[in-house]
Amino acid sequence: MRRVYLDHSATTPVDPRVVEALLPFLTAKFGNPSSVHFYGQEARAAVDRARREVAGLVGARPNEIVFTSGGTEANNLAVRGHCEQAADQGRHVITTAIEHSSVRGICEALERRDWEVTRLPVYGDGVVRVEDVRAALRPDTVLVTVMLANNEVGTVQPVAEIAALVRELREAGQKHLRLHTDAVQAAAGMRVDVDELGCDLLSLSAHKLYAPKGVGALYVRRGVRLAPQNIGGHQERERRGGTESVPLIVAFGEAARLTRVELEERTRRIRSLRERFETGVESRVADIVYNGDRARRLPGVSNISFRFIEGEGLLINLDMQGVAVSTGSACSSGSLEPSPVIRALGRDDELARGSIRFSLGKDTTEEEIDYVLEVLPRAVENLRRLSPLYQKAVGSRQYALRSGS
Amino acid sequence: MKVKLTFSTEALPTAIRLLPTILSVAYSDTFKEHLANPRNAGTLEGADAEVEQSNPVCGDRLRLALRVRGRRIEAARFLAYGCPPTLACGSALAWMLEGMTLDEAARLTRAEIAEAAGGLPPRKQHAAALAYETLQESLTLLRT
Repeated sequence: MRRVYLDHSATTPVDPRVVEALLPFLTAKFGNPSSVHFYGQEARAAVDRARREVAGLVGARPNEIVFTSGGTEANNLAVRGHCEQAADQGRHVITTAIEHSSVRGICEALERRDWEVTRLPVYGDGVVRVEDVRAALRPDTVLVTVMLANNEVGTVQPVAEIAALVRELREAGQKHLRLHTDAVQAAAGMRVDVDELGCDLLSLSAHKLYAPKGVGALYVRRGVRLAPQNIGGHQERERRGGTESVPLIVAFGEAARLTRVELEERTRRIRSLRERFETGVESRVADIVYNGDRARRLPGVSNISFRFIEGEGLLINLDMQGVAVSTGSACSSGSLEPSPVIRALGRDDELARGSIRFSLGKDTTEEEIDYVLEVLPRAVENLRRLSPLYQKAVGSRQYALRSGS
Repeated sequence: MKVKLTFSTEALPTAIRLLPTILSVAYSDTFKEHLANPRNAGTLEGADAEVEQSNPVCGDRLRLALRVRGRRIEAARFLAYGCPPTLACGSALAWMLEGMTLDEAARLTRAEIAEAAGGLPPRKQHAAALAYETLQESLTLLRT
């Protein structure tokens, strides 16, 4: 069966060039970077090279990069690490209604420990308003955490503008106030530069960048102190104990280098393929609603609600024809609750349940898009034929036509 | 034709219990076949009973229409909105019902409906419960 993978926001295939870079570190180059001998130093040099590449991807200094086991751990280290460090200065955090489940979960855990959390709305376009951040900031706020681009709808948040506010307050004396941004989704689809963004902490994950799962990084601006969450050895400048996963870190480094070099070309291609996809869907399927601001989103993401049907049924129908997509957040997919992100856009339950995320990648082809455009309308039509909601809507439309209203 | 809209209360506790769980994607071939080629889908001319039940927790809906001659179900059609197990159970139920006597239909169990749908993961049994409730409500309507 023909297979088309349109779920790159969930994870990406590992680039063969990345595999080639990491393989020697699974075999001959097995040293522990903390060892003083040849093997250790060989591994240390490789980790340092990778650190330079990851720093280069986001415009940071190498010693501002802390390797972690992935995006979730980076988010934990950033939010919990900073909040524990700054707890004496205040116990208020500002976040948004559309953060990744890891940040959402950490904020809920903070609330259970008597922290106050303000969750900013995103309105119909899926974008946070800077004025709302301004209004929510308080003298006891120690952290603002706003994702750079959303994982479900791809909308890009005004992080640089929020950073300007945070800087203003910090210069006015609120020294412990910091800005964290989760850039796990953003890094694959837009230029990310920590100085242009003005953030203090920024999370990354390798497996969204054509590297394996199990490795990520947190950018920690010079001067920002965090309470370590993994206590153990002296690795990562005391910020994250535990022997480094050298093969995965090397893979991340190579993936970061390739992303930096190829980003412009990748995004140009992906954007034009998405245009082809969306134009095709619009001409073939009626009663659809796009989720998220269409101008202000990552180039590879297209999140569409199909009226009268439920996303999971469509997902399985597409999967039976070889097309892989997702509904809701990859982590909450299959739970009975509609996606909280789509609900945060103000969509009703039916539209939230009928949302599907198509996410394109660097190796997606025109032929693949055309195949999806061939099978998708049929799958939607088949499910709508079964849907009592659709039958009712068709009935009332025919009535409206007959009565001339 | 008698039409009655009701809410299924039977599915409620099950659905609440299942809320935090995550879907198992290991569906059987029979299940997928019901999804790919649903049996007996659509509306029914001259139906003797038409019942639509919904699960108030997850919003799933199932509509069942039956035409009866003598004591036998001559035709059964379904429409469904919701997660795949609800669609598969609707398809399986309508397909099984055709040709059954009303007494045979009354003896159908949730487990038999789930089995006819190709089996359901434990967390998705509420779909069979919704189908069962819809059937029972239809039979009650036919008796009145």
